[in-house]
Amino acid sequence: MAETVKLFVNGQEVEVESGKNLIDAFKVIGVEIPHFCYHPALGADGNCRMCLVGIEDGRPPLVPACKTPVAEGLKVQLDTEKIKKIQHDVMELELINHPTDCPVCDQAGECTLQDYYMTYDHQASRMRVPQVLKGKKMDFGCGVIHDQERCVLCARCVRFTRLITKTGELGIVNRSDEARVTTFPGRKLDNRYALNVVDLCPVGAMTSKDFRFKQRAWFLSRSSGICHGCAKGCNIFIDHNREKGGDDRIYRFRARHNGLVNGYFICDAGRLSYHQENEGRLGTTRLAGKDCTIDEAVETARRKIENARKPLFLISPNCTLEQMIAIKGLATARKGRVSGYSDSYIMEGDGDDFLIRDDKSANRAGFAALGIDTTLEAFRLALNEADLLVNFNNDLLRSEASGTFTEKLSALTVIAVSSHDNTLTRKATVAFSVSSYSEYGGTIINQDQILQRFTAAVVKNDPVPNMIEVVRLLGGPVTDDVTITKAMQDAIPVLAGIEATAFPTAGLNLKEKETDHVTA
Amino acid sequence: MSDRSHLIFTGKPFQFDAERDAEFEYLVKRYPSRESMILPALWLTQEQEGWVPGEAIAYIADRIGTFASQVYEAATFYTMYNLHPVGRNHICICRTLSCWLRGKQEIVDYLANEIGIRPGEISEDGQFSLEEVECLGHCGTAPVVQINGEFHENMDVEKLKQLLSGLR
Amino acid sequence: MEVRILSRKFDIADAHLLEVAKQHGAYATLDKVFAMPPADVTDEVKNSGLRGRGGAGFPAGLKWSFLPKGVDKPVYLTVNSDESEPATFKDRYILTRDPHLLIEGIIICCYAIGCHDCYIYIRGEYTTQRKALQFAIDEAYAAGYLGEKVAGHDFKLDVTVHRGAGAYVCGEETALLESIEGRKGQPRSKPPFPAVAGLYGCPTIINNVQTIASLPFILANGAAAYKAYGTEKSPGTHLFGISGHVEKPGMYELPLGLPLLEVIEKMAGGVWRGRKLKAVIPGGSSTPVLTPEEAATATLDYESMAAHKTMFGSGGIVVLDETVDVVELTKNLIDFYHHESCGQCTPCREGLGWMLKIVKQLLRGEGTIADIELLRELCDNIEMKTVCVLSAACTMPVRSYLDKFRSEFVAYATDRPKPEQA
Repeated sequence: MAETVKLFVNGQEVEVESGKNLIDAFKVIGVEIPHFCYHPALGADGNCRMCLVGIEDGRPPLVPACKTPVAEGLKVQLDTEKIKKIQHDVMELELINHPTDCPVCDQAGECTLQDYYMTYDHQASRMRVPQVLKGKKMDFGCGVIHDQERCVLCARCVRFTRLITKTGELGIVNRSDEARVTTFPGRKLDNRYALNVVDLCPVGAMTSKDFRFKQRAWFLSRSSGICHGCAKGCNIFIDHNREKGGDDRIYRFRARHNGLVNGYFICDAGRLSYHQENEGRLGTTRLAGKDCTIDEAVETARRKIENARKPLFLISPNCTLEQMIAIKGLATARKGRVSGYSDSYIMEGDGDDFLIRDDKSANRAGFAALGIDTTLEAFRLALNEADLLVNFNNDLLRSEASGTFTEKLSALTVIAVSSHDNTLTRKATVAFSVSSYSEYGGTIINQDQILQRFTAAVVKNDPVPNMIEVVRLLGGPVTDDVTITKAMQDAIPVLAGIEATAFPTAGLNLKEKETDHVTA
Repeated sequence: MSDRSHLIFTGKPFQFDAERDAEFEYLVKRYPSRESMILPALWLTQEQEGWVPGEAIAYIADRIGTFASQVYEAATFYTMYNLHPVGRNHICICRTLSCWLRGKQEIVDYLANEIGIRPGEISEDGQFSLEEVECLGHCGTAPVVQINGEFHENMDVEKLKQLLSGLR
Repeated sequence: MEVRILSRKFDIADAHLLEVAKQHGAYATLDKVFAMPPADVTDEVKNSGLRGRGGAGFPAGLKWSFLPKGVDKPVYLTVNSDESEPATFKDRYILTRDPHLLIEGIIICCYAIGCHDCYIYIRGEYTTQRKALQFAIDEAYAAGYLGEKVAGHDFKLDVTVHRGAGAYVCGEETALLESIEGRKGQPRSKPPFPAVAGLYGCPTIINNVQTIASLPFILANGAAAYKAYGTEKSPGTHLFGISGHVEKPGMYELPLGLPLLEVIEKMAGGVWRGRKLKAVIPGGSSTPVLTPEEAATATLDYESMAAHKTMFGSGGIVVLDETVDVVELTKNLIDFYHHESCGQCTPCREGLGWMLKIVKQLLRGEGTIADIELLRELCDNIEMKTVCVLSAACTMPVRSYLDKFRSEFVAYATDRPKPEQA
């Protein structure tokens, strides 16, 4: 832990990390200081006045906690009648011009105004005069819909576009209670991170066109996950729900904080990539294009693999390390070749210096860690010699550049083990439907050598098997947890020293560990 | 204040004329930051056009190298920037404390009844526009009226009548 | 009663012109000042007891001494000529009648604090005043009082006039800095104070026009000569503005410490039209009102006003005669502060609008006693919860009207006859 200071909160001595403001420092020890405008990624603005706290013997005696760094011996008052009254008064003023349209507001259930009202206000309205009327359902672009009346003018969204994306589309025009967030006519939101303002908005002023009116927040289960949209591996919340009579379904991804990887944000493409978890799935296991039982498919596939002289096992760069290890084990047992060739996942020049990477796969670094070849030369050689292609979810033909293989592929027997429907599953003799990343757990390594673990979020009514299970059914010798774990530790020795329960939640920086090892 | 966020676009491209262009280039050197030119540039626009069209806000933002939203914020925050065309004679009447105490309302009523313009309006012939403004700093000679930037102190209906007839 | 220190040249024809101003002593202190070490200049100002004339009354010399030493950043002087507090109209006399006095003061201040770039923030409404000021600055440049070598001394100084555009809040010093930097005039949280991180993040001194214009006298005649005027804690003279219901409204330079009612009587001719006095606003619209009884014992200095639970403020005295409808007056004031709220802090942004609507409702005859109580409570709830004191500038006087003239508010909430309209 970093350096600490001792100070007092409500008369009680506590020890907190130095260098933080009161809000962040107290949050760690479970003490909430209410606030709207402060956000750790956007800094302290100090406009909402909700975080005013008392400082005993302080000059001034009343300070915004967001702008006040922790200091040795500071006597912070949160529970005095004076502070409670200020919190109540600020809440009353936040609400007088608020439409209180919670029944039709998407934010209801996860709204700071609602939560704070219950905690800090909880009084009947005294507002007997007409409210200020402002703009409703304004299309701000990039799928962001704004409601000026719900807005508390915390300016988080404005600061996001100025400080983070540096695109500055949003501003607060006018002054007094006519102040409102808007865009300059003809210059709407135009950046690849715009939907973060929906996450940042503490109230229902910023909603996502994609999510609006789809689900009440309180019905959603929030599971932690990792975005598989690119090699950054941004941490996300997978918000899903099984509606009565329906299946478990994802309704949105939201950014989940990880200081080592993505900070507080994710890109819009990643955020909306949940659609691909719901749609375009392979759905059923098929034999020669027709639905079949898994036993039938296994029987045919085993026979084909056993009879193949030179089977080629192609692995998706989205597979987890565990899956890769299992597949590699099967290939070795069947004396086949393994390739992780997946150039089709790379969109040259698409990445940026923030979160978006050229490589649209989640675990390419896993290939290197496990010694799986990814070169075009090796793949082409293997493909030319192969008499069977067993493809594990690799969307080889996803971009046009990879069209050069179509001729060879058309002559080749293909077994597909796939979560999604694609060109290769459609031509496959046998196609196994397997789970996708929101439905299984595993380990992946991002482009920056951060090794991360995630667990299953979604449980379908009729779950399809994990890829590893299919590998086992096809005769893979390395499919049990113990063996896979051992293989992973062999490949990445640093893992051997870490108890599964002690695995760092932010992930493991492999580069750092190597350096540590060297210096030690 | 009332909502000032509605901008008017003329449909014509905006740029400074030669005189304002030179003034802009002179002023920009007086500040260590180009963004300091937002207010002066809005003033130059208003001097040139009489008001600030939407196109000018975009022009200023691009010329300074800042966000249009930031210029838009300033244009709507500072109430002296006219975000719509005003009359050839723009009349500002102070409505605050001392002018109110000394009878500014009689002048407002006169303009409403005799000239037919209320605060925020522009006369049909485009001759006059009227705005009630906050304290103009001439409380000792209240009530005060500012017409096209010129102050007229110790105002009353009779004096205003003469003044306006001279402007017609 | 009147003293002519700041206003010495006000009645001289064409004293705004450099040539005339020089004939009457303009820029005469500069050689003396440049012969002094800068720290001595600051000490002289400290010793004079000169207090900031913008409204807060903070000792000017002390403010200068807050500048950090040995910082590798430029130091800025920003002259606050925003003069927007209702009932305040003093600085513009300096701008139009003796702008060279201000420029001379700027040179003295800049020399003392080591500043080579000064910005004068002038409110946008001051159109003719800005032209007069710019004309004088141009003259001063041409004559070598500004520019590369100020008055022939090895000291560079540039002065730039920055125009506001209609925002009272820009009189607040950090809002003023934001405005110069091209943003909305929204006050900054303090700390850091401008002396440490002000304009463009650099150490900055912000002084009112009248404060700066007081410097040439102090440096020419010494701190003791300045202290000869006024009271011990409020030394010097002030440009008082008297407006409202008096026979001779106007601007008068007076030493601090004179009896309030005597000044109103002798300088401004007393309450107009033979009417009775209802109340006095002592120092601009944001200062709590004084009843005739309170006004009778008040003197025009910082201590007396504090003792009367009001403020010296900007020295803008407003006289209210017996016909004034205090509820209407309250509406007029809330209207002003609501209009001018920068919209940043929740309590001020939302609260002032609410207060305005409540008082309007009361005036329409639709209010209740509970509304009066709510109005009173909102004053407490809003005040001092914000970044700057704009909300307090509204709630402090409104509270004083509610407390001292409660019956008039009650009359609107009940069926009792309304007071006669002005």
